[in-house]
Amino acid sequence: MKGRWQEFAGRHGLGVALFVGLGVGFWILFLIALPQIAMFDFSLRHNLPPSEIGGAKDVYTLSNYAAFFQSADGSANVLDMGVLFKTMLAAVFVTIIDVLICYPIAFILAHSARGVAARLMVIGLIVPFWVNEILRAFAFRVIFGATGVLNGIGMGMGLWDSPIDFIRADIALYSGLTYAYILLMIFPIYNAVEALDRNQIEAARDMGASWWRVHWRVVLPIAKPGIASGATMVFMLTAGALAAPQILGGPSNLWFTQVIYQWFNEAGDWQRGSAYAAILLLCCMLFVMLVMRVFKVDIGAIGR
Amino acid sequence: MSGSSKSTGGGLFAIGYSLLFFAFLFGPLIIMTITAFNSSSFPRITPWECFTTDWFGALIRDQRLMSGLSTSVGIGIGVVAISVPLGLAGALALSEVSPRLRTALYSVLIIPILVPGVVLGISTIVFWGSVGRLFGGDHGGIFYNGTFLTLAGQVTFIAAYAMLVFIARLQRFDPTLTEAALDLGATPGQAFRKILMPFLGPAIGSAAFMALLASFENYNTTVFTILSGNTFTTALASKVRLGTDPSLSALAVIIIAVTLIGAMINEAHNRRQELLRTGRASRSRLYTNPVTRWLTHPAGIGIILLGCAAALVYAGSEHDSRACRADLIEQKRAVQERLLQEQRQRIEEQKRLQQPSATTPPQPSNNPSPFGGAFSPGGLAPGAAPAPAPSTNPSPFGGAFNPSALAPEAAPAPTPVPSANPSPFGNAFNPGSLQPKP
Repeated sequence: MKGRWQEFAGRHGLGVALFVGLGVGFWILFLIALPQIAMFDFSLRHNLPPSEIGGAKDVYTLSNYAAFFQSADGSANVLDMGVLFKTMLAAVFVTIIDVLICYPIAFILAHSARGVAARLMVIGLIVPFWVNEILRAFAFRVIFGATGVLNGIGMGMGLWDSPIDFIRADIALYSGLTYAYILLMIFPIYNAVEALDRNQIEAARDMGASWWRVHWRVVLPIAKPGIASGATMVFMLTAGALAAPQILGGPSNLWFTQVIYQWFNEAGDWQRGSAYAAILLLCCMLFVMLVMRVFKVDIGAIGR
Repeated sequence: MSGSSKSTGGGLFAIGYSLLFFAFLFGPLIIMTITAFNSSSFPRITPWECFTTDWFGALIRDQRLMSGLSTSVGIGIGVVAISVPLGLAGALALSEVSPRLRTALYSVLIIPILVPGVVLGISTIVFWGSVGRLFGGDHGGIFYNGTFLTLAGQVTFIAAYAMLVFIARLQRFDPTLTEAALDLGATPGQAFRKILMPFLGPAIGSAAFMALLASFENYNTTVFTILSGNTFTTALASKVRLGTDPSLSALAVIIIAVTLIGAMINEAHNRRQELLRTGRASRSRLYTNPVTRWLTHPAGIGIILLGCAAALVYAGSEHDSRACRADLIEQKRAVQERLLQEQRQRIEEQKRLQQPSATTPPQPSNNPSPFGGAFSPGGLAPGAAPAPAPSTNPSPFGGAFNPSALAPEAAPAPTPVPSANPSPFGNAFNPGSLQPKP
């Protein structure tokens, strides 16, 4: 360790070495590790008025976590657990849809598009994602609202008589979430697929493999780390999404982040909110690690 | 079928799929753009009312959004100033440590991207709040300041984005260049400044741009850390949640226009660089002719595009839709007047016939109300009451605010017959059911 430090300082100078050491240390300690620990510590405390903090009543408790599993009357807290389960399930659903949509386009971009077409495609992919996330959700509300574009067209053409409530049916929400994180799925898959040698595809084809067999046996194994990376990011962002559910979610359907938001901003119980945030973090991380284990992908593949 | 195009995903399928995909990508944006110019107070395309540019004015007059904008710009600059150096430090550290440590360090530094923004926001305010308590600061101190907390929360994960950009660039760096500089007598600091930094230059630019954009866009973390304040995005979100209004579409139009102009200038810049690098510039006809050379220069393209945009903005600000709107209101009034007349006539007829058995069930309303006609005046009228004219009012309030709904003629008739009432409340709210039978 010490040798590496000296080597690094020798190559780039002491100033740079100090800058790197202090920068990374500050980042890990004060921005990543300590805040998470503080949140976890906070979630183990009672919700006390400011005057009693640090006093005799300020002791550790598991009540905030217990409240997630059990309601006040002793019965199982089906409501909150149900919301968490539904959020995770919906996030998985959105992730799978995104993989299905993005795999072909990433492959086309890497191996079929040439020259101007490829450049235009890349620009076309990026431009929509410079538009604010809130406005993208708003666009879906314009389309799916009760007096929105889709209902206007559908009723104008006589396809249905009364407006369909796409918002209550969560169609608007799932479409909006699918749209929101497409880019984070395409580029990892593209980066992985691009490394594939075209000759391998040609060879497989010459051996008489059908098109789906070429994809299943040749392209998919190469694309797997990219898909894993994209799917992890899309899943985590979808499960942690707050804006889209607030704007597009039905009135009776809550996202788990909205429950956390309510504990913080409406109920003013930060301790309970912290506990719920910790639960969300733990569930998402465990789920992602489980899936990565199942598909034999390393965490180092993420972000490539 | 020759497998050639099919098995590689080329050919018709590729083109068709790409078109569909980009329709999905751009469709919502195009629809939103169109709604910005419709005078209807709910953003929609059908029915088209008047072409208007008033929503842009409404957007600029929105005080909350505009003050949020200045806060966001300040925070964005701060985030760039902190997260780009941190990201660079992270990338440099990763390029030096041993492979085993590298995996561990990478996992730790990449975690903020994966952790839900909500969790980051909460952990930030909780942590700095307890730091504030430690120093015995009051609630006016820096650790309870929304701008400071937002800066801390956003830098946590935006530095990781910047780091990814630097890692990608560093992978293409040839370390022997630094070795050569050192061998030739440069000090380590000189080698870093003169060799590595210039190489990283483009990456610094794109990392800064990404950081600015990510900071500006962020909602999930900021909505917690900004406390009682507002950034542009949180102000926008509360506006969307409170009610939709086409001035948001107008905002989208502005952002899309800026984005497109930026993308075109960037593309022109890239092409020019490529031409110059490959040395084809001197052979290219575009480049030897001074006029086309200026026209294809990024600055030339930028000036032309900005000129077009300015002309459009000027033309838009001159456009006056008041005459068209007044017309529209006049038309609506005429339609309502006619409906009222028709209803009066029908009631007169009913009175003249005066047959209690001849009940006319309320006519099925073709009202596109989201409440399924529950608030439709016909839904509450007793069965025997003369049905109001079928409302063609596309109002979301189901015609409850239709002036004819309050007309005295629509009041409960004296002889209630509980029958074909399509009310969702099963006549429970039927005013007639409370009246003593005559």
